[in-house]
Parts: sequence; structure tokens; C-alpha cells
Amino acid sequence: MIEFRNVKKIYTGGINTIALDEISFVIEKEEFVSLVGHSGAGKSTLLKLLYAEEKPTSGEIFFNGEDISNLTPKQLPFYRRRIGTVFQDFKLLPRKTLFENVAFALEVSDHSDKEINELVPQILEIVGLAHKLDSYPREISGGEQQRVAIARALVHRPPLIIADEPTGNLDPISSWGIIQLLLKINKLGTTILLATHNKDIVNRVKKRVITLDQGKIIRDHSKGRYAI
Amino acid sequence: MLLLTLSRTFKSGFQHFRRNGWLSFAVISIISLTLLIISTLIVLSIAANLVIRSVQDKVDISVYFKSDTEESKIMEFRSTVLQYKEVKSADYVSKNRALDEFKAKNADNPTIMQSIDAIGDNPLNASVNIKAVTPDQYDTIATAVQNSAYKDYINRINYAKNKIVIERLNNVLSTTRNVGAMLATLFSLIAVLITFNAIRITIYAHRQEIEIMRLVGASNPYIRMPFIFEGIIYGTISAVVVMLFLFPLIKFVAPYLSGAVSVQEVQANFMHNLWLIFLIQLFTGVALGTISSLIAIRRYLKV
Repeated sequence: MIEFRNVKKIYTGGINTIALDEISFVIEKEEFVSLVGHSGAGKSTLLKLLYAEEKPTSGEIFFNGEDISNLTPKQLPFYRRRIGTVFQDFKLLPRKTLFENVAFALEVSDHSDKEINELVPQILEIVGLAHKLDSYPREISGGEQQRVAIARALVHRPPLIIADEPTGNLDPISSWGIIQLLLKINKLGTTILLATHNKDIVNRVKKRVITLDQGKIIRDHSKGRYAI
Repeated sequence: MLLLTLSRTFKSGFQHFRRNGWLSFAVISIISLTLLIISTLIVLSIAANLVIRSVQDKVDISVYFKSDTEESKIMEFRSTVLQYKEVKSADYVSKNRALDEFKAKNADNPTIMQSIDAIGDNPLNASVNIKAVTPDQYDTIATAVQNSAYKDYINRINYAKNKIVIERLNNVLSTTRNVGAMLATLFSLIAVLITFNAIRITIYAHRQEIEIMRLVGASNPYIRMPFIFEGIIYGTISAVVVMLFLFPLIKFVAPYLSGAVSVQEVQANFMHNLWLIFLIQLFTGVALGTISSLIAIRRYLKV
């Protein structure tokens, strides 16, 4: 489903920084992959390349057989609608209600109001927030906010969800709740790529682990543990 | 599909507007001030034009003919003068009409009336009153008349008497126009810059929202539309607010012009131009809001 082929990313600026150095790997459909490594190891860069926020300096990235390393600005939104993204800082719209936040992802891709009114409560039910449709993000806890973000990433049924440190701002109990939710989504057939620092989580999940260090893949185990 | 997008982005723009009360208030105040400055300048220029026109109407030069000049010669002179491109009108005032007008003007002065009766004959001269298209042409006209074929029939031209008034009027006119245009340009420029920056701030406040919109796959036009609608709402409300301010302003300004023109005339003129002024404001407000939004949002839409 995802393939990185000799991907190199160099940030140019005052000093040229090699963020990713000749990375190659494949992720199959319905896999759950944890991406681990120290800060600055290249995790976020790898994810940014995947949701096309950055372009690789060299190499190719394929999503369902399609090269996404050089999308035009016109193609970009359509590509983004095929993936879901979850972030450490939730990235919810503070002035929209939970319902509106989730509905937003459907509105931009031209779903009808009827579909939106059906799908959004369903998806908020799945993440356990059906009773808070009309609340605003500031009125709920961090764990709940992350659930809303996951609901938003999930609502248009993308085949892939990218989660960048989704538990970074959460307490251990909420964190585990979020991971269980991602596991559940994965079981329903969605590929998950999870970047994390959290050793406990990686060890409890017992799924494939790719370890990055200084822009290189130093380990790739199918039933991995967090070991750096 | 287009309709759905339009209605959604409009709704979203309206939501921005409603849920960011203070920011909206601030931006509307700024656009209103901008429009108020622009429309005050418009109103002042309408008023100045009224004053100038009324003064212009009062200025003319009169060419008096010698008592023995035949009427047909004067009429001939009149039609010659009317052919000058600088001349707007030329009125013939016969000796009798001049006397009638003189009598009417001095009806309540028995001494003058008695002396006219005592003379018996009509002591006044026939004349042609000439009005120029623009006041700076009187000099040319006067010279042309003095050098014309009719100069032997002419008793006197009262241009010299009016000359100072006419020149002063010309000076005032050109100064008013220049200073007015300069002030209008300067104030409009300042106002436009302030509005632009105010809108940039509102979009800056929405930068996170724009980022999220991009992440969930909103196309650039979809991201832009709410801000454009927001700009349109700002512009429309500001235009209405300014119109409400303009009414008292006109009431306040009109009496000061009453020496030259009547209060009713100023107000009538304003009312006559009301829709035009409103449309100019609406257009300026909406254009300001929209263009500022478009420019400000550009930097957030780069890939």
C-alpha cells in the first residue's frame, strides 16, 4: 500500500540538515506499524512526506501504486481526502462544535448534508462521544479531544490513518484508550502508521515496529519492541 | 455541487463573522472609518461644487453699447459672440428692459424714481450680458470683444470691475481642486492600508483553521471562499453604518454653506446622490474586504 524508495530529504537553510537518508520500506494493507525513534530521528519528516506536506529531495513515494512525491497543488486536496491524519496537538477547530469539527472533513469533500447527518453521529458513537455533539473542544478533556480528532480522520473512511505522536499530550490512561481505539480501527481494515515516543505503548501493542535513528532505518521487526 | 459549496462556504464565512464578535467589530469599525473618510470627501466635493457653481452663475461680463447703436447691430454682435466656443450664453438687455429692471430694483427709493421721471428720457444703455463656460475664459472673451468689429459701438465693458472677483474665484477653484484631490488620495491610501492590515490580522487569527482545512483535503478555493464572504459581510455592514452617520453629517454641514446655497439645495443634492453614494460605499467596502482577504490569505495557501 505504501512504498518508500530510496527517499532522501534534506532541509536547506543556514545549514543543510539530512532529515531522511535513503529510506526504503513497504507497508502492506491493514498493517499496524509503529514508527519510533528519538526526537530529530526523522519520524515527523517521514510522516510529512506521506501526507504530502513536504516533498522528498530525491527518491519516490507510492500510495496504492501512485507516485505522490510530486503532487500538483490541484491534486493535493484530493490525495489528502484519501488519508486521515491525527496529531499530538489534536488540531481541532476551537470555534466549531464537535459535530461541526467532524462534519468539516466531509463538507470539504462535497458530501451531502444527509450523509453528514448520518455519518457524523455514527463515528462519534464509535469514539464514545455521541453524547457531546454540541460541545466545543475547550469544554472536553485532552483524551476526548484526541478521540474527536480520530473521528474526523476516520469519518470519510480512508484506507490509511497517519498518527503523529497522538498520545504525546495525554496521561497514561487516556493514552492507552486512544491506542485501543486505533487498534480497533485497524481491526476494521484501516492501515495505521503510528509515530510515537511511548515505550509502554509500543511494547503493549506487539505489532510491527520501524526504528529510525539520524534519518536512517536501523531496525524493522514484525513483532517489535521499543529498543533504542 | 457548486451551489452546495457556495452555501457551505457562505455559512462558514458568516460563522467566522458571528463567532469572532470583537474582531468583526474592530474590522467593521476600521472599514467604516475608511468609508466615512471617503464619503466625507465626496460630500464635501458635492458641497464645494454647489458653492462654486452658484458663485459662477453670479459672475458675468456686460458689454454696454452707445445710446445711438441700432438694435439690429447689437443682435448681430450677440450672434457673433455666441459663436465663440468660450461663451455659454449672451443675453440682450434692451434700453427699456434695463430701465424696467432698474425701476423695479429701486421701487422703494422715491428720490431715484423722481429723478428718473425728471430726466424724462431713458438714460440707460442697452447691453449684452455674457457668461463664459469656465471662469478663466472671461479674460479671453473681454479681449476678443474689445478687438472685434463692433468696438466702435461699444460704450464700455465692465470686465475690469469684475476682473478681481473672477481671478480670485479662479484661484480658489484650482486650489480647492488640488488640495481636495491630494487629501482624498492621501486619506484613501491610509485608510486602505489600515483596512488591509486589519483583515490580515483576522486571517492570521484563522491560520490554524486554514492549516486544518488543508490537512483534511479542502481545495484552495474552498478555503478562500469563507474569507471572501466574510470580507463581503464586513463591507456591506460598514457601508450601512456609514450611511447612518452621513445623515447627521449632512445636516451639520449644510447650514455652513447656506450663505452661498440654500440648505434645502444641499440636502436635495445629497438625497439625489444617495443611492450613488451608497453604491460607491458598498462597492468600495466589499472590494476592500475581498481584495485584502485574497492577498492576506495567499501566503497560507502555498504548498
